[in-house]
Amino acid sequence: MLSKLLKIGIVCPYSWDTPGGVGNHIRDLAEYLIAQGHDVSVLAPASEDATLPSYVVSAGKPISIPYNGAVARILFGPVAYARVRSWIAEGEFDLLHLHEPAIPSISLLACWAAEGPMVGTFHAAAKHQKIIFAIGPILEPAIEKLSARIAVSEAARLTLTDHLDTDAVIIPNGIYASRYMHGTPQSKWQGNTIGFMGRFEESRKGLNVLIDALPVISRFAPDVKVFVAGPGDPDEVIKEIDPQLRSRFEFLGKITESDKADFMSSVAIYVAPNTGGESFGIIVAEALAGGACVVASDIPAFDDLLGHGQYGALFESENSTELAKVIIDLLRNEEKRNELARNGKTHAQLFDWSVVAEQIYSVYEMSMVGGTKVRVSQDSRSWSRFLSKEEKP
Amino acid sequence: MRYWVLATFLTIFFIWYLTFLARRLDRLHQRVDNTWANLDVLLQKRAAVALEIAHSDIADPASSMLLTGAAYQARDAAIQNRSNAESGLSGALGLLLEDSRHLTTAADSQLLTELSALTDKIRVAIALHTDAVNRSQMLRNKFVVKTFRLAGSAPLPVTYEFEADVL
Repeated sequence: MLSKLLKIGIVCPYSWDTPGGVGNHIRDLAEYLIAQGHDVSVLAPASEDATLPSYVVSAGKPISIPYNGAVARILFGPVAYARVRSWIAEGEFDLLHLHEPAIPSISLLACWAAEGPMVGTFHAAAKHQKIIFAIGPILEPAIEKLSARIAVSEAARLTLTDHLDTDAVIIPNGIYASRYMHGTPQSKWQGNTIGFMGRFEESRKGLNVLIDALPVISRFAPDVKVFVAGPGDPDEVIKEIDPQLRSRFEFLGKITESDKADFMSSVAIYVAPNTGGESFGIIVAEALAGGACVVASDIPAFDDLLGHGQYGALFESENSTELAKVIIDLLRNEEKRNELARNGKTHAQLFDWSVVAEQIYSVYEMSMVGGTKVRVSQDSRSWSRFLSKEEKP
Repeated sequence: MRYWVLATFLTIFFIWYLTFLARRLDRLHQRVDNTWANLDVLLQKRAAVALEIAHSDIADPASSMLLTGAAYQARDAAIQNRSNAESGLSGALGLLLEDSRHLTTAADSQLLTELSALTDKIRVAIALHTDAVNRSQMLRNKFVVKTFRLAGSAPLPVTYEFEADVL
């Protein structure tokens, strides 16, 4: 299927040692492509003491800035620019794949520095990002150099058309569906249980909405339990919970991939109450693949992913009363729960890497039609010669 | 004296800006060419697959004739007639696929999978080409680009009519 073997350079804008959606996506994609026999090099910021897989090249130490409701650890500046350029010059890539090239990061720097076949993937979905408006005129000529643009969801595509008026092909994020397919239900997580997974300290993950809904839920289902999995310090969150309901919550901390599969197949309902800032919802896709009955807020990404309610139940975002209602209905109706879970599991196969990577690869093929390799662009070379003398040939 | 320095500086900057725009434009024109070449190849492939389908058992004699005609027309069409020809082929394929869904054998269904994979690729190729054309038209319409004739003698890129509804 994947015919010609390529040398592919992937640029990750966020720090490699802090896990996140984009980073995971890049790791999985790189590993999938390597397994197919391609030669892949990933350039990413990383702390000095981080242990990196052999295919990752560090671009330097990242700095932390607040972005899109979370703290992003990214990197830019003249030193980083020089590293990006030499990585491109030495790599002799057939193709560059830049992730999130519209934010100030090494992806954007790479887009500036390189010339030739380049594919850009846009992950973020956010309304009215002022920062992009502000630097739009600088961004445009750079984004224009991309031979193809990929958006991970309809929401991300709309963000792109709004801000930079350019169109993109939609290719969803990938998951290894088979990893989640054969979870064994664990009795400790079964019963009238609700699952939540993610960095619960971040308010946009919406754990608060679930906490607010619990008093009502526990009145109708007295034995309900909530399992919260994910990294973070639970003490702060526990303070906000009604003391009488504290015993209903159990914090599991970060759980392993295989536990994740068991978790998704055990809990009666998986809840994703995210209030926004979500572009695709990889965790929801994983929950679907794991055979969970999903209840999610109706933010555009989830609405799209769940087929407007076909593969999981939706509730109005940030409305804990409605969330309680939906959960109670489902806890009482096992048949409905099983039906949603079954539909969801089938649907999730569409996001398996075997499907998604093929789509990405066909975009690669199309952007390489010119037959040229990636090289350091003329203008950036003359500028660097002008600024620093030591680079003269 | 100061004004001279300022004026020189501005002139140099402006000239740099012009070369910058020209380079951008050149890159975009290249992209239009590449994306079109890509789309063209895929469309040729589709015509070839359509011919194969016409010769297979999927098509009854009548639709086989229809399909063969449409495929040859699409393959040999001059650029002015391309839109009509490709839309014709799409129509013929659509007609055939609509009522052949239930009577396919294993060998034939391989052809149909090939066709649907090709169709997906064509959809992406069209999006890429349209985007490239739109971007270059946008840049070509800039006042500076027009006044200084930065595009030179390169023809204004256009999208083909069939791109909107080829599939």
